[in-house]
Amino acid sequence: MSKSILLCDDEPHILRAAESKFRRSGFDVRCAYDGEDGWTQIQERLPDIVVTDCQMPRLDGLGMATRIKDDPTLDLPGVMLSAKGFELSPAELEEAYGVLALLAKPFSPRELHRLVEQILETGHATPAPAQHVLDI
Amino acid sequence: MALLAILTASFACSWLINLSLGFSFFARAMLLGGLTAVSAALVLRAVQKNSRKEKAIHRFIEVMAQLDPRELSDNVPHEALPHLKVDNQWYEAAQKLHHRIQENCRRLEDVEHARAGSEVRVRNLEGEHERALGILTALPEPVLAIDDYDELVLTNSSAEELFEIGSVEQSDNRALGSLVRCETLVNLMTDTRKHRTQSQRTGDIVFVDDDGEAKYYRAICRNMFSKVEGEGEDEEPKSTGVVAILNDVSNEKAIQRRNAEFVSSVSHEMKTPLASIKAYVELLADGDAEDEETQDEFLEIINGQADRLQRLIENLLNIARIEAGVVKVKKKAQSLNEVLEEAFNVVQPAAEQKGIELVNAISSIYIGVLADRDMLMQVAINLLSNGIKYTSPRGTVTLKSRLDDDFHAAFEVVDTGVGLSPEDAARVFEKFYRVKKHSNMAPGTGLGLPLAKHITEDVHGGKLTVISELGEGSIFRATLPSAQELNKS
Repeated sequence: MSKSILLCDDEPHILRAAESKFRRSGFDVRCAYDGEDGWTQIQERLPDIVVTDCQMPRLDGLGMATRIKDDPTLDLPGVMLSAKGFELSPAELEEAYGVLALLAKPFSPRELHRLVEQILETGHATPAPAQHVLDI
Repeated sequence: MALLAILTASFACSWLINLSLGFSFFARAMLLGGLTAVSAALVLRAVQKNSRKEKAIHRFIEVMAQLDPRELSDNVPHEALPHLKVDNQWYEAAQKLHHRIQENCRRLEDVEHARAGSEVRVRNLEGEHERALGILTALPEPVLAIDDYDELVLTNSSAEELFEIGSVEQSDNRALGSLVRCETLVNLMTDTRKHRTQSQRTGDIVFVDDDGEAKYYRAICRNMFSKVEGEGEDEEPKSTGVVAILNDVSNEKAIQRRNAEFVSSVSHEMKTPLASIKAYVELLADGDAEDEETQDEFLEIINGQADRLQRLIENLLNIARIEAGVVKVKKKAQSLNEVLEEAFNVVQPAAEQKGIELVNAISSIYIGVLADRDMLMQVAINLLSNGIKYTSPRGTVTLKSRLDDDFHAAFEVVDTGVGLSPEDAARVFEKFYRVKKHSNMAPGTGLGLPLAKHITEDVHGGKLTVISELGEGSIFRATLPSAQELNKS
């Protein structure tokens, strides 16, 4: 049985890129355009993992992550994409929102795919080594 | 003198008595009697003469005592003084007394002059002090000064208002720590005093008022030094305390914050198309586009996103150029309605995509304006896009135009969107300002409305205003001097 993934982003092109990557790898992919839409789809059918953008209209990524974490019946790992930096460290983000990995935009679909596969296999993510600021 | 006369007369009498020993008793008696009478007359005359001199000196002293001492200050004898003969035995003493009084009077006059000069100086200093205090009081910057015992010696009204304290002149309690409820400032002032250096120390202070609004001040503290009188040039000046001036830097902080928000907003806007470009390039490189059609689709997306990035960069540069006055304004008489029609057509697809009804209520009469076509269109597009962004699907955005009675050309963008609170409406034309609770509705840099205002008002001499009610919608109204009005003038 194929692994299922829910992708949430208000930017259609980003959604399409991620969808292509995961579909090509044999994932059962569903897409949502904001947090509310994503939350509805989770309740309809639980995916194996959620990848969500942080800034979205109606309900943002952190809001959706909070709902997932606060629901004791749900055991759903999540990956967060964001174009803005976070004040919280990855450990704090996991503690507060149950988010296992954070990927900064612009992101690599290849890296996103690797992280998702790793989380589904091991239950945790090892982020790629951060680029040094001076290397940019 | 009288004594001398009596003695002389006695000697003369004795000599005559001895001489007259040869004469008869009667003759001798007559001679003695005559001589005694002469002697008595002489004595009487001498006594009378002395008495006149005493009277003269008495009168001289009396008149001198009654005269105003200042009248005696002249070197010449005063006309009111009685004449004193040189042979008067008191003459020398009287002259000495006169001269001493004259000398003392001159000294008195010098002292009087010095005192008058001091009084003038004191009055001048008082005036200067009052003026300095007036300037200090009028200063909008709070100013405080402490002495060497950390006691407040001076506060101006701005400082008294800020720290809610009374004037220190009327206060028994002057301790800085107990009056000024700001630990940062108290520490800064006392540290400055302890170090006694000539250089200034600065520190940032934040005050949060009852409404939760933060005010930022930069405190500059300096030691006050004064030269002690009588000390040489090489002597170190003595520290007399510390003065602190608080500059309100709230505006600078707000600008810094808005700039940071702008950079963050722009970087987000740039990262979004860049993210797409990078993602699709990687997908193509990894062979994730399964067929040619998908490859074309990906390339199309890359191209579209590159265009979006280019537009964003161009807009940013345009804003910077227009604001800096680098862009040449090409004003010419043209139809306002034609420009509005074009702008209407530009934003129509965006409205349709969002399910918003875009209503064309552009006037059918010709309205001529003297304007830069591209800039005017930018204003119309910005206002229409703004209306579409902040109106929910199934809402309406209406574009109207008209010629006012006073020959002003006007156009309005009326939406049924989220509307603005009075506070937001007052700030919506500020650069980089975005209404926080609506910022998730649509991407934006907070530059569209400020740019529209700049073009309408600064470039074209018109007016751009907003009337809005939260939850009900907004009316953005641009008024421009019409070509008719310009012809009239």
